[in-house]
Amino acid sequence: MSSPEFEARLSAAVSRRIGAPGTIHKLERLTGGANKTTWSFDAEIGGRREEFILQLSSAGAAEQPSPLADIAPHITADQDARVMIAAVRAGVPAPRVRAILEPSDGLGPGYVTERVAGETLGPKIVRDEKFASARTMMTRQCGAILAAIHRIDLKELPFLPYQDAAQLVAVQYRIADYYGLHHPALELGLKWAIEHIPRNPRRTVVHGDFRTGNFIVGENDGIRLLLDWEIAQSGDPMQDLGWVCVKTWRFGGPGPVGGFGKREDLFAAYEKAGGSSVDPDQVRFWEAFGSVKWAIGCLRMGMRGIEEVGIERCAIGRRIEEPLWDFLNLIEGRDN
Amino acid sequence: MPRSMPDAPTLLKAAMKYLEDELMPTLSGYHRFKTRVTINAIAIVKREAEMIAAQTAAEGARLAAILGHGGDTETLSAELAEKIRAGAISVDDPALRAHVRQSLAEALAINNPKWFDR
Repeated sequence: MSSPEFEARLSAAVSRRIGAPGTIHKLERLTGGANKTTWSFDAEIGGRREEFILQLSSAGAAEQPSPLADIAPHITADQDARVMIAAVRAGVPAPRVRAILEPSDGLGPGYVTERVAGETLGPKIVRDEKFASARTMMTRQCGAILAAIHRIDLKELPFLPYQDAAQLVAVQYRIADYYGLHHPALELGLKWAIEHIPRNPRRTVVHGDFRTGNFIVGENDGIRLLLDWEIAQSGDPMQDLGWVCVKTWRFGGPGPVGGFGKREDLFAAYEKAGGSSVDPDQVRFWEAFGSVKWAIGCLRMGMRGIEEVGIERCAIGRRIEEPLWDFLNLIEGRDN
Repeated sequence: MPRSMPDAPTLLKAAMKYLEDELMPTLSGYHRFKTRVTINAIAIVKREAEMIAAQTAAEGARLAAILGHGGDTETLSAELAEKIRAGAISVDDPALRAHVRQSLAEALAINNPKWFDR
């Protein structure tokens, strides 16, 4: 789509769904992947200029058919927007949806949210002096945000895919087998996971990718926004508490929670904000299995890198031992 | 064929030196990022060229001790992976744990030695 025509369609959609005249300024592509592109723009609404984010999904069938297509069920753009709307209603700092695009907009599936300023880069958030005071608030904020997410009524979001821990482990085996990987450390991790599957988990809305890197952070107010709701699912809420502790997502920061906090402070904040009582061993399972899952993520990225002959993804393929090393340290009590 | 000179690690070191010292200072944004990733990839290949032979031999010896028979390292490693999955060796087995830890340490020494400091 040519740029002037794209801008004209976006302007018409904004005018129709948010407010006239919808004149667009500073339209800028932020990120673009095979399945999703993110744009930033300003628009005139009434007499004011407002700041927005546009998320577009590729129009469905563009994705190549793959034997792994069903393993990580992504919700659609429309469902993604509905999850964020429910989250905001529950008091979660999720992006505020202002418009859900429809076929008549001619832009493909997607939505428009309000733009929020702040830092998303993990290494800066966990290490930069500028964020020192933000870091003192973020563990408590994580606990409160997770408690609010896990309180959302699942009946509001019946389309969320459900995978329990055993199914998630089975999916990782399928991926390893699809790529013909015979890796003792990975096999050890998966077998350990099978032997430690939590019993009687609760079932709630789960964000699925709750971690540093998906937070928009302000210097004085900490977490302003929680991004990336597209793998939201229903499952064991402890999954979200474990994932934010996975060492990869600490970006070299000192605290096990996101590179900035202590586990016991996260659990206390979660319980205080009305979350269910936390079993640290269950969270530890999800942290350990999270590392194994990320090792599989590295494998997939690396294989895509080989396919596209792309240096970035190829390099991620060579990171597979990092999370497996972290996994081993965690289960042997050598982690902090 | 006689060994060509300079050897592979030396060639890669020279390539990295040019990229790092001369090219990087002229770059910004996208190309600076991609060149950084490229330099890291060359560093991996250099370390692999230096270490892989000794590592493969040591790994093969460890695997032979655990499995009770010899063979080429890749085949033995796949056999161990199979045994773990089948439950024929416990994930708590100290010899297995020690081997896996050592193998991960060796791979990290090639792929990202900085990870040990994390």
